[in-house]
Amino acid sequence: MITSTKSAASLQPGDALPAAEKTFTAVELVMYGAATWDWHRLHYDPDYADAMQLPGPVVDGQVYGAMFAKQALDWLGPKAFVRRLVFRMRSMAFAGDTLRLEGEVIELRDGRSFDVVVLNQRLTNNGRRVAEATTEVRLPR
Amino acid sequence: MPLLTEALKAWIGREVVYPAREDLGRAGIRYFALAIGDDNPLHIDDDYAREAGHPSLVAPPTFIVETCQYAHRQPDEHGYIGHVWHLPIKGCRMIRAGNDYEFFRPVLPTDRVSVTWTLEDMAERESSRGGTQLFVSSVARYYDAAGDLLAVNRETLVYQPLAARA
Repeated sequence: MITSTKSAASLQPGDALPAAEKTFTAVELVMYGAATWDWHRLHYDPDYADAMQLPGPVVDGQVYGAMFAKQALDWLGPKAFVRRLVFRMRSMAFAGDTLRLEGEVIELRDGRSFDVVVLNQRLTNNGRRVAEATTEVRLPR
Repeated sequence: MPLLTEALKAWIGREVVYPAREDLGRAGIRYFALAIGDDNPLHIDDDYAREAGHPSLVAPPTFIVETCQYAHRQPDEHGYIGHVWHLPIKGCRMIRAGNDYEFFRPVLPTDRVSVTWTLEDMAERESSRGGTQLFVSSVARYYDAAGDLLAVNRETLVYQPLAARA
């Protein structure tokens, strides 16, 4: 049995997604770099980070896209489809940082064959904004 | 000295095509799901994914726009093998400003994906750190074997001048 998928009728603007936290240790950074064929030294080499005048290896900003999409689908269900995901970086995060992921519904739209829910999502690091996203997800009618 | 030189402007409009090399594959999808901590059975269980209306398990939504699997070369001096323009910019570090992803259908392990990168625009803007920084906007389009669009990735990178070190 698959888990249920939320309907647009069951949602309203302001509904909050369950918050989550994730710590990016060196292991997480290497796992992500390897799984995406991205071996850029910025994400694991402290000497390289120092040469770039940064305090340590940088969390790859692309992983934030994956986190936003995962939070949306975990909450909305297996028949939801991420149609668009726009994210903007606000500050860098570094190896060892713990990021908090939050979001809420901002808009609902009726479609002909599906409905659309629009989410605002954000990642923070001890209250400092790291990235924010606007995510459009299609829901079956 | 401006960051956005006439020589750099000539790069606007350039395009590079990365042909499909192999199926994305189940191993690659499972590896990515593990790496992002995504335990959704949609990405590892065919029966579960079929119940949700898919022909087989599906990749996490952003997999194809995050992976450099389309590339086939040795790493550059930064360790990177994915698409880069190799712009003639010295004394800067490069950071991500943001991405705008559009998705047109779920991606399957059997998909063979080709990628076309286009350098759309460059702009030099004031930096809150003082001086200026250079914004480079590119778009990657991901096609399946039939030539249908799977995803579009508009990416903005920023080149920030490094401070002189004693």
